[in-house]
Amino acid sequence: MNKRQLSKYFPIFVLPAFAAFCVGFVYPFLHGIYLSFCNFRTTGDAKWVGLSNYIQAFTDRGFLYSFVFTVAFTLVSVVLINVLAFTVAYVLTSGIRGANIFRTVFFMPNLIGGVILGYIWQIIFDGILKNYATNIKLDSTLGFWGLVILLCWQQIGYMMIIYISGLNSIPDQLYEAAKVDGATKWQTLRKVTLPMMMPSITICTFLTLTNSFKLFDQNLALTAGEPGMQIGGETIYRTEMMALNIYNTFYQNLNSRGVGQAKAAIFFLLVAAIGLVQLYLTRRKEVEQ
Amino acid sequence: MTKRFSRTLTTVIMALISVVYLFPIFTVIMNSFKNKTAISASPFTFPDADTFVGLENYVRGVDFGGYPFIKSVAYSLLITVLSTVAILLFTSMAAWYITRVDNKVSRAIYYLCVFSMIVPFQMVMFTLSKTADTLNLGNPLGIVIVYLGFGAGLAIFMFSGFVKSIPREIEEAATIDGCGPVRTFFGIVFPIMKPTLISVGILETMWIWNDFLLPFLVLDIKEYRTIPIHIQYLNGSYGQTDIGAIMALIVLSIIPIVIFYFTCQKHIIKGIMAGAVKG
Amino acid sequence: MLKKISTLLFALCMLCLLLASCGKKADMPSVYYLNFKPEQDEEWKELAAEYTEKTGIPVTVVTAASGNYEQTLTSEMDKKDAPTLFQVNGPVGLANWKDYCYNLEGSAILDELVSDTFTLKDDGKIYGVAYVIETYGIIYNKTLLNAYFNSDFSSVKSIEQLNNFAALKTVAEEIQAHKDALGVNGAFTSAGMDSSSDWRFKTHLANMPIYYEFKDRGITNTDAIEGKYLDNYREIWELYINNSTVSPTSLASKTATDAETEFKTGKAVFYQNGTWAYDSLKKDNGVGLSDGEFGMLPIYIGVAGEENQGLCTGSENYWCVNAKASEEDINATLDFLYWVVTSEEGTDELADDMGFVTPFKQAKTADNPLVRIADEYIANGKTSVSWNFSVIPSENWKNGVGTALTQYAAGTASWDSVVSAFVNGWKNEYAAANK
Repeated sequence: MNKRQLSKYFPIFVLPAFAAFCVGFVYPFLHGIYLSFCNFRTTGDAKWVGLSNYIQAFTDRGFLYSFVFTVAFTLVSVVLINVLAFTVAYVLTSGIRGANIFRTVFFMPNLIGGVILGYIWQIIFDGILKNYATNIKLDSTLGFWGLVILLCWQQIGYMMIIYISGLNSIPDQLYEAAKVDGATKWQTLRKVTLPMMMPSITICTFLTLTNSFKLFDQNLALTAGEPGMQIGGETIYRTEMMALNIYNTFYQNLNSRGVGQAKAAIFFLLVAAIGLVQLYLTRRKEVEQ
Repeated sequence: MTKRFSRTLTTVIMALISVVYLFPIFTVIMNSFKNKTAISASPFTFPDADTFVGLENYVRGVDFGGYPFIKSVAYSLLITVLSTVAILLFTSMAAWYITRVDNKVSRAIYYLCVFSMIVPFQMVMFTLSKTADTLNLGNPLGIVIVYLGFGAGLAIFMFSGFVKSIPREIEEAATIDGCGPVRTFFGIVFPIMKPTLISVGILETMWIWNDFLLPFLVLDIKEYRTIPIHIQYLNGSYGQTDIGAIMALIVLSIIPIVIFYFTCQKHIIKGIMAGAVKG
Repeated sequence: MLKKISTLLFALCMLCLLLASCGKKADMPSVYYLNFKPEQDEEWKELAAEYTEKTGIPVTVVTAASGNYEQTLTSEMDKKDAPTLFQVNGPVGLANWKDYCYNLEGSAILDELVSDTFTLKDDGKIYGVAYVIETYGIIYNKTLLNAYFNSDFSSVKSIEQLNNFAALKTVAEEIQAHKDALGVNGAFTSAGMDSSSDWRFKTHLANMPIYYEFKDRGITNTDAIEGKYLDNYREIWELYINNSTVSPTSLASKTATDAETEFKTGKAVFYQNGTWAYDSLKKDNGVGLSDGEFGMLPIYIGVAGEENQGLCTGSENYWCVNAKASEEDINATLDFLYWVVTSEEGTDELADDMGFVTPFKQAKTADNPLVRIADEYIANGKTSVSWNFSVIPSENWKNGVGTALTQYAAGTASWDSVVSAFVNGWKNEYAAANK
């Protein structure tokens, strides 16, 4: 295709997607950055207030708490999901019967949306916990593990698929060579499989990392942030993750919107930082290979 | 321990784990046939003569909450199908253009797309819903534009990666035959992109079908609800809470996804792998 | 083949985008009511449909989830098609939404009010009209309570003796101890703390300590509540949760429907709720209470002289018209309101179907036994408890108290956290709201 001939076709090829991209991303993003420095009830009456929203966000104990909770939750779920998904993938590729059926079973929960998942698990947890005279919304430890179990249930299948394809792409010769050298199964796993799986592991780690960090639907549907804890008249919601905290700040009433937008900008920086680290790591890998 | 024995043992263990894994879904299906009191009193028992209510929950569920369930199914379907088609079509075109016409504008758009992939929805949630409202996009057709816009980044990124691997010679041959860019794209490039189209299509479908917050904030609450919004409403204490009806609706809302999975199982798995590689 | 499909899809998409961008309906005045009361959602929708059929003016009714009104209003007000008719709960709500409230002076609905006291004023302007006067207390099942009075284990023998907290406690505890004999599951219905039901305690019950403190201090609002009557609040809360159909630990997930069902099916004697609940409790398909079985007690919390205390009567439902709507829409909304409070259909629906007592001249007498009981208390010279919760500084305050109450009930937090949420929370939220 002649480049100059094609370049005249910008309006047909790029404009529809680009226009929508501006409406759906570019403008809202820039506007959002601007508003995070403003005090506003509606977008029309925004007044520049400099960094005061950010200062308020950083001194908001509920927000700081949600950050700590989110980090803890993310660390635990990333490790659990990846270890379990890898194990399942490893077993399913070891030539057991019915591997396809098992794959379907493990993948199934991933197809169900977060809100619906949240309610399914609420019923399960309520049913179990009432025998112990408690409830998922009463105990933040239960809420934490409830969310972890829910996310594991949803994500293991997805990560498993990626791990299976990674495992299948390891050349058989490597295993044969290991066998010839008299390596045990455990040694083969550690010295052959794991190193070869590093790209898949990196990808899955980052996918689970961002998924857990940005969790919203499941959080809203399962615990909605409950229980609350009193600190000097401030109520801190102990299972409220950052995304939910931001949402609540925004839509609770008109007076805290600027702060909500500033919190969202901070959240964006955190997510972007994770993304950049990932980009850096995958780039480095590509160079090494 | 023989190899065969250990393999059988693993299969048995996996089978047991699978049963546990599907237990939540079984529980919901089971409860959808029980009466309300039985659901909250003993959620893990099978329905018996006293508690079995047949399809009663389903009958109540379909118009429970003052909103016909079928409407939310229809809106979910409409929005998912149209948005996915729009994303596939327009972003593949854009990706081909910006990869082939490698100038400053193209590169700027490409990097913007990559950038947009790391921006969480919360960052644009308020301003996006505001913009959508100003432009009258709060209906099932308008939201297609919003999805096209918000989903464009990832799709353009994935398509660009694929277009780079298509040899230019194929397209050049078409030009020599007198094809313009539009015909070249639809006659030659688009068919070659089929595997990536399917992969991206699957990823977008799964995202949009299950998405809650974006349609919740963008759609006009006076008229439109998707399935996740409807389920959230029913649980969110709008007057009556009817746990039996909710169970039935959860089952009904899972059925289309299961059908979808079994019809395009192979593609779904490919789609996930393709999506993973691009990260 | 593929080409054809592609062309078709392309055309389809273009068409969609085109339709979407001009899918706006024709300009016509319309009314959009963001309703606060989930209990009356269906009735409002019926009324709206009737009005549309009559006049051709489209009226949309959307009901916010219980506990989510402020949130829904906030996001809806931001839209172009914002509600033209919404509600504020009193002075605090008005302070938040004043910019959006149309000055109702000179509109026909004001002439229909029986008294000027039912308006919401600020700076000499009239921003809201109360449309329903409601009363709450402890609703009881007369049949069951009489069964208790007549039993051999009862130490309180008549409703006349049941006029203070000590008596209420005795009755509740004796019923609880002999629940099998009475065929109930508990004295009180479950004090559910799900968002469909928690307002009964974090707002309505919390009104009691606020009311008595305000009365003592001779004030109607404050930037710092002292919590003088929080011990009484604790007593009544413990009475509710320890003499109930369910164990205190299971309250977190109990819903309004749960409590309603327990009361309706005669599994509990007492149910804290108000006149608005009549519609959902009355006999329907053989389940529920007949009109003669309804009784209502004041909420006694153990304050000296409470024998003369009446029920809690007031309003937290003020209609406001969106000042930022177009003039046509404002007029259409005012017309709709006028029709609702004056027409045959409107007054019928308000009184009979919604069971409302409205402060309008043409209002029909509500066919609601709970309302009749409320009138009797006033006729007998009892002092009504005013609705002071409309000055609660914010929704956050209520949520804080609510979650603390839930955890106190479950034993996962001490009463101090309720006190802290109540007293310190008030100070913080008041300061934040009046910055």
